[in-house]
Amino acid sequence: MGKSVNLTCKIANLIFKNPILAASGTFGYGIEYEKHLDLNKLGGFIVKGLSVKEKIGNKPPRIVETPCGMLNAIGLQNVGIDKFLEEKLPKIEKFNTHIIANIYGKQVDEFVSIAEKLNGAERISAIEINVSCPNVSVGGALFGKDSDMVFKLTSAVRKISDKPIIVKLTPNVSDIIPIARAAESAGADAVSLINTITGMVIDVKSKKPALFNKTGGLSGPAIYPVGVRMVYEVYNAVKIPVIGVGGIYSADIALQYMIAGAALVEVGTANFVQPNITEEIIKGIEEYAKREGIRNISDIIGSCCSQC
Amino acid sequence: MQLQIISNKQVSKDTYLMKIDNPGLFDAYPGQFVMMRVNNYNYPLLRRPFSIHDLSNTMDLLYRKVGEGTSMLSLKKSGDFIDILGPIGNGFKIKNDKKLILIGGGVGIAPLHFLKKKIDERKMNCEVYFGFNSKDEICVDYGNIATIDGSFGYKGNVVDMVKDKIEQNSLVYACGPTVMLKNLALLCYEKNCDMEVSLESRMACGMGVCLGCAVETKNGMNLVCNDGPVFNYKDILWEKV
Repeated sequence: MGKSVNLTCKIANLIFKNPILAASGTFGYGIEYEKHLDLNKLGGFIVKGLSVKEKIGNKPPRIVETPCGMLNAIGLQNVGIDKFLEEKLPKIEKFNTHIIANIYGKQVDEFVSIAEKLNGAERISAIEINVSCPNVSVGGALFGKDSDMVFKLTSAVRKISDKPIIVKLTPNVSDIIPIARAAESAGADAVSLINTITGMVIDVKSKKPALFNKTGGLSGPAIYPVGVRMVYEVYNAVKIPVIGVGGIYSADIALQYMIAGAALVEVGTANFVQPNITEEIIKGIEEYAKREGIRNISDIIGSCCSQC
Repeated sequence: MQLQIISNKQVSKDTYLMKIDNPGLFDAYPGQFVMMRVNNYNYPLLRRPFSIHDLSNTMDLLYRKVGEGTSMLSLKKSGDFIDILGPIGNGFKIKNDKKLILIGGGVGIAPLHFLKKKIDERKMNCEVYFGFNSKDEICVDYGNIATIDGSFGYKGNVVDMVKDKIEQNSLVYACGPTVMLKNLALLCYEKNCDMEVSLESRMACGMGVCLGCAVETKNGMNLVCNDGPVFNYKDILWEKV
């Protein structure tokens, strides 16, 4: 006891001080959380999905609560890549943690043009490609459901960017393995999964969908077993690191993802409920490692598989 | 922060008043709200926004039991702790060159009660009009009361009651159901007077991050949590509310 635990994790050439990242879409541009926690303590955070131009998003209602979860159809509201680089990035550069840009486009050349603009942003450690946002009918989901499109898109971004590339996968497919393999063979440095699960809630009185967009993405504790299962499947099918995301609200759930095969994890919806939850989870993981006599947290990655 | 509940009592049909210990670590102004976590576990998951009803040595929240979350909240006992984030948002602005009129519907009276206290402290005058569905919903002991069923006070809705009270130099402060606010907006446009409205919305975070509480305004898509909850009624695109 008393020995320090090595919490560092690696993706491509990036060393993360611990495996906890804040997930895109739940952490704003980072700065919003400054008063709630010490951002320097995070492994990193992923900013709200960036598009070529500013997007105003969907009409309200945009969210509805579900048992142990929530359904959202925000519609990728964001300030756009240019305004992000000019106004937001200067405010977060001071933090000693990895800043990852999540990017989104309606077609391949839009992803490429955003990634090109990020080439000049030194503090952006990596790019997370959103191929899976289910809310904008002309966007994301069309790429993420088709392994050829994922290959073409990832290859195109790979060609013009030297930054590590993470491809964020949708769970709304019948088999996620070919999609993860397509990202890997196109040169992705990691895959992150899962994005939200498409769902629908209806108001029985008005007989109308609860969301203006009709359908939305389900997130929160309710979905974590789906995420853990998919991480387990993908970990055994690809060689690149897997980042686990979906319903993580405690160190226990984060550890489940890691044991299933996640090299790092992203905390999402839980940030809304408890803004400093990421710090709590980091503490919890460290305590677990001490308790279990684990020196390097990376030793637990995929450790489920040796026994089953 | 974890604050202790001093009392949590039913004050009228389906309406409860929760008094929470105020450790004196924060101030708030009328119209601001707090995000309250009902339990320390995952059901219900999201925090709920509640307007501040009063602030002294306790912070008071007036709420209606409408769903599972508020039902659980109504069972909280004195001595229990409750997790609160806030105070949050932009509140009402008191002006001294106008005829001040407070108009509330149902549990929408919550922030107006706190506003009236601040107006009284400044030794200014205001008129108060509150509307309820019926007598058993009334949870105040002052103001002009309207009930839809006529069981107390003016028979009809509160907007009808104030039709001949609002003038061009009035400044209306309003909070209540969307239909009431829309009808009031129409009335205020007719009278060409000012109005500040407190809007309600579903929200997950209350800190401008989830982007769930969007409201369409003349200045583009705004957030109820960061840009409101109190808005100038002329900024709201009412047909989209």
